Amino acid sequence: MPSELDTRLFDPGRINLLIGILLFLAFLIINMLRARAGHSFFIRPLAGLQALDEAIGRATEMGRPILYMPGLGDMSEVGTLASITIMTRVARKVAELGCDLEVPCYDPMVMAIMDGVARQAYREVGREHDYKVGSIYYVSAQQFAYVAAVTGMMLRDRPAANIYMGSFYAESLFLAETGNLTGAIQIAGCDKVTQLPFFVCACDYTLLGEELFAAGAYIGREPVQLATIAAQDWAKALAIAVMLIVLLLTAFGHPELRRILQVS
Amino acid sequence: MYLGPILLTFVVGATLIALYFIPHHQAQEINSELLLWATIVYAFALILGSVSLWSVHAQRIRQRISGWPFSLVTLFALLGTTFMGVAWGIGEESPLGRFYSMVNSPLASTMFALLAFFIASAAFRAFRARNVEATLLLVTAIVMMIGRVSVGEFIWRGFPGLTEWLLDVPNLAAKRAIAIGVGLGAVSTALKIILGIERGYLGRTR
Amino acid sequence: MTWADRLLRLDRRIIFLLVAAGTALPLLMPVNLPISVSPRVEAAYQTIDVLPAGSTVLFSLDYEPDISAELQPMTIAIMRHCFRKNLHVIALTLYPAGPGLVEPAIRVAATKEHKVRNKDYAFLGYKSGFQTVMIGMGESIRQQFPVDFYGTPLDSIPVMRGIRNYGEIALLVNLTASSAADYWIQFAVGRYRKPMVLGATAVMATDYYPYLSSRQLLGLIGGMKGAAEYEKRMDLFGDARRGMDAQSLVHVIVAFLVILGTVALFASGQRGPAPRAEKPQE
Repeated sequence: MPSELDTRLFDPGRINLLIGILLFLAFLIINMLRARAGHSFFIRPLAGLQALDEAIGRATEMGRPILYMPGLGDMSEVGTLASITIMTRVARKVAELGCDLEVPCYDPMVMAIMDGVARQAYREVGREHDYKVGSIYYVSAQQFAYVAAVTGMMLRDRPAANIYMGSFYAESLFLAETGNLTGAIQIAGCDKVTQLPFFVCACDYTLLGEELFAAGAYIGREPVQLATIAAQDWAKALAIAVMLIVLLLTAFGHPELRRILQVS
Repeated sequence: MYLGPILLTFVVGATLIALYFIPHHQAQEINSELLLWATIVYAFALILGSVSLWSVHAQRIRQRISGWPFSLVTLFALLGTTFMGVAWGIGEESPLGRFYSMVNSPLASTMFALLAFFIASAAFRAFRARNVEATLLLVTAIVMMIGRVSVGEFIWRGFPGLTEWLLDVPNLAAKRAIAIGVGLGAVSTALKIILGIERGYLGRTR
Repeated sequence: MTWADRLLRLDRRIIFLLVAAGTALPLLMPVNLPISVSPRVEAAYQTIDVLPAGSTVLFSLDYEPDISAELQPMTIAIMRHCFRKNLHVIALTLYPAGPGLVEPAIRVAATKEHKVRNKDYAFLGYKSGFQTVMIGMGESIRQQFPVDFYGTPLDSIPVMRGIRNYGEIALLVNLTASSAADYWIQFAVGRYRKPMVLGATAVMATDYYPYLSSRQLLGLIGGMKGAAEYEKRMDLFGDARRGMDAQSLVHVIVAFLVILGTVALFASGQRGPAPRAEKPQE
């Protein structure tokens, strides 16, 4: 970019992205209309989410707490938003069964929102007074201070279930391996590809990448939510088709079409 | 009751998407300004965090819950660092700066160094030839572990090339597939939030 | 309990002891195992090597002490390369604990290559906010960093003369263990079309391979191994090459343990699906 100030109102190098977003939006609207018209959508079972109820049940029977970790992402991370959706399900179930829930948070804003979500869940099942103030708390915004605090808590309190949902980084193996040592049932979901092998190694169930984002729709089973998964599948099919076409054309001597996949 | 926040989310979300496509310098200044706002909001959230930290640990000390001496150390550190920051500032050479680089940094480094031990222990437990897939994973892991370090080259000159191929072809193919899935999932979640389909963050569970 | 069962339930503290011994011994008694330079590191080296003398290279050194074992030797090696080629270096960090590492790294590299502060290089210090700083520097570096780390106004620093924004930067080198790399790719490469070389931790490095094939990155140096390769290419013997013996032995120990675990599994006759939590009902 030249040193002069940019006065363009549109970056033509991003036209393909704009078209992609508009297409995705169109897929979303079409599928939502289909859902409203009564079309039913299939969503394959996700073992990790099915296991949530069992884990909470087990914790209730054992009289031990459930540890829910929303990851190290802030509110701008989509993984954190997905984690909040899953927390709604966990909090409702915990409120129904009456076991203890501990949510150590890395980000104070995530803590405040998680607290609101949990209170609402307790309110919805009519157990507002059972909600323990301070069960969702801020620990530290320092990665390894957070690790030290949470692993220490795991070893002292021995939670029956550890649920890791959100964006995790280098702390993933510390947490999951310590949880494994304590014998807790462990369920993880992470959108950071690099950390997935660590969770797969140390946890009983792992939601891989996009499964974390599908969790909201899976849990709610609302037709409109399920329609968004269908839209995602359409987008994926389109992406595969475009990649195949570009690949074939490149192989047959027309590499110029590759440009449609380049973003500035 | 949720109309206000949903509308606000829609307006801010749509504006930020639009700004991504507008390279005009004034638009980018607005973008920077909005990012600054996010930083300011975060600073206020830190107050909430500090209050939470104080109340949770004070309660643990009062009720003598297991590990309460750690809570005492936490509160002492919270008060001590706050005092140092207020009294002598937060520069590199200030007492707080020195405390950060001489206490906090070595502790964080030590914690990170422990990762090697955790990886060894997890690998010993997880990589076992229970079936065909696990055997494939095990063999690949051993090739990677040996081939990525100098000793691999010492044993067999072809090791680095083999590991490069493993990283460049099967690994990259799988990573790209997962990354595309994650990307589309993220776009879908973002659009759901901007359009008000997903409202979990507002405390609505249904 | 048979020997195999006992091995399968091996106390993890024994594994920890083996790893500790495997790390310490080679550091005390180095063997200097051979190292070959991978194409990714060679590409990074060549990108810097072909820059004409007097070009300005911007270093964003976004890491803290926990990652320093991997990235600090990398910083020193790349900077020494820049200094040897008579390139001007501007360094900054987006992490609060970064200056404590970056400042000595520049000093070491500059002293070894006989370069002088402000004449050959400048250290701008730390500024918070990834995106704000990156976008802001596209408009004006001075607006983001009115003074350098030592408090000198940028206009008084000879090496900063004529450097207004990314327009005058020939190459961006980002060494990081975080998502800072994604933001630099998005803003400096995507929006301002600057060539970029990335140095990342070994765990992160494979995430950025796609950016190499799309030429959004011109070179990639991964972990201590990558740093050791760069040192080898520079004909230096720094901390990364010294650490490679230890890394090699620990990898061998882990591989040996994995094989041992599998042999014990066969001997105990426990093959089959891994024991895991009972599957819940639909």
